[in-house]
Amino acid sequence: MSVTIALPSKGRMKDDAMAIFARAGLEIVNIGNERSYRGVITGMDGAEVAFLSAGEIARELGNGNIDLGVTGEDLVREDLSAADERVTFCARLGFGQADVVVAVPDVWLDVDTMADLGDVAADFRARHGRRLRIATKYWRLTQQFFSAQHGIQVYRIVESLGATEGAPASGQADIIVDITSTGSTLQANHLKILSDGIILQSEACLVRSRSDVRSASDEMLLDDIVQHIRTISA
Amino acid sequence: MLNHPKFADDIMTLFAQRKALPVHIPVIQPADPFLDMAGEDLRRRIFLTESETGESLCLRPEFTIPVCLRHIETASGTPQRYAYLGQVFRQRRDGENEFYQAGIEDLGDADIAKADAHAIRDASDTLTALLPGIELHTTLGDQTVFEAVVAALGLPDGWQSRLIHAFGDPALLDSLLQSLSQASGKVPGIDDRVAALLDSGDEAGLTELIDRQMVATGYMTNASRTPAEIAHRLVQKARLSNARLDAKALDVLKTFLALNTPMRDAADALAAFSRIAGLDLDAALNIFNARVQALEKAGFDLSSSRYRAAFGRPLDYYTGLVFEMSAQGAVLAGGGRFDRLLTLLGAKAAIPSVGFSLWLDRIAAAGAVKSERPSQ
Repeated sequence: MSVTIALPSKGRMKDDAMAIFARAGLEIVNIGNERSYRGVITGMDGAEVAFLSAGEIARELGNGNIDLGVTGEDLVREDLSAADERVTFCARLGFGQADVVVAVPDVWLDVDTMADLGDVAADFRARHGRRLRIATKYWRLTQQFFSAQHGIQVYRIVESLGATEGAPASGQADIIVDITSTGSTLQANHLKILSDGIILQSEACLVRSRSDVRSASDEMLLDDIVQHIRTISA
Repeated sequence: MLNHPKFADDIMTLFAQRKALPVHIPVIQPADPFLDMAGEDLRRRIFLTESETGESLCLRPEFTIPVCLRHIETASGTPQRYAYLGQVFRQRRDGENEFYQAGIEDLGDADIAKADAHAIRDASDTLTALLPGIELHTTLGDQTVFEAVVAALGLPDGWQSRLIHAFGDPALLDSLLQSLSQASGKVPGIDDRVAALLDSGDEAGLTELIDRQMVATGYMTNASRTPAEIAHRLVQKARLSNARLDAKALDVLKTFLALNTPMRDAADALAAFSRIAGLDLDAALNIFNARVQALEKAGFDLSSSRYRAAFGRPLDYYTGLVFEMSAQGAVLAGGGRFDRLLTLLGAKAAIPSVGFSLWLDRIAAAGAVKSERPSQ
């Protein structure tokens, strides 16, 4: 039996995740060369490490193909339906902080809250012959926040896979739902975050896949790793 | 057709007797009209696919919208009653994803009370024919009455439309009533210049300022909300910022929303409510009472039905009547009036419309339960 732990395969996320594991006394050694995508944890038999993109880690945790992973909460909540039934968030790791937010043009002086936005959405079609358009790559989070949490039903999502913050100025969408860490990109594009428009305060998390077929010894191994990380992230 | 409910032919025969024209609606439909009308939330609940050319398509999630679109495309005259029967497809986490529905859409009958009554009676007659002896419970609601209450209270326009928009969604309505009971205070997030223009009520000045700001920041002034639209709503919002829903109005709204009475007593209950609240609801109550009379004339038995004032559907194309029929705890039929739908879908003139839909799988299940019971 063995368990698979997935870490981000590149960039700041990778460095920060490796640093956390190192500080927790879990030394990760690549198999083969430095740049291989597999590794082991020194002194922990049965724990394999896989380096994947943060997005893949979220998806594979949901599928149960990996047991434990470091990835952004936003990716997990966006990729998985009923995330809390499929994974457990074991620790918040203090890096990769970013908020998923609702932002509207600065010049919408009358819109400060989701309730204001609800008013605007309600008669948008009567005024403009179409529904209010939201540019985002966060379909699920947007739907949950607008429809379930704020009772705003009538709007359309325009998929945006990059430079979302430019969509309102170029007329592709009216508002956006996007991720921001400092807000400076939004500011530069003359967008403002609604006062109650923070959908999710995301950061990198240690996430465990819920499984009912794992052996007791594997569960113990995972408990052990989680415990190590928790000691230093708390 | 395979797996067709056994009683499908009976239903279509009955619908034909009620002068409804059977229509064929393809299973594969363009998805946009459904998403436009019912909202993005529907996306999770329908089966979507794409054509080779990138057009978004879906498996028919319901019949009303395609029946109305077909009516517009074929430029059929009104009044016209349409009958349909077939499968609908919806994603659900638990349970089946495909069900049979049948129903009638009644388009363009200007006699609202009569058309409403016929929709209710036809749904009830069909259920009674399929499930003889079953105990049906009908619940009716009427958005027109709620709109009349809100208007008679003399609430500001912005609040009226918010309240009407939330009607039918109890949680949303509750939180809205709560937030309207508190004054919102100063309009947040505006600078001194804007505040000064607001204070002097200079809407034209605001429009100009917003227009300049849009141009300066590279926003197109005609692609989305216009400067005039933003200025107008801002002025309206500032006017309401110190107002709050007073205790009496809140009490009246809550009393109204709590009304739940046997249909026979509904007219009296509403009359009593309007007298005690001191509101003139005559126009809406006349429509309501005309419907009750039309129901009696159509031979619908009022004794098993109730009026629930808070019952509605929170989508903007529904207007007026809504109803639901259930037996043994399962909803077997749902219907209502959607006077705004056809114009939203592109009809040139307003077409008053009412319809209902039957859940055939639930009806079959109710029939099976019933026939399993030993007869006495």
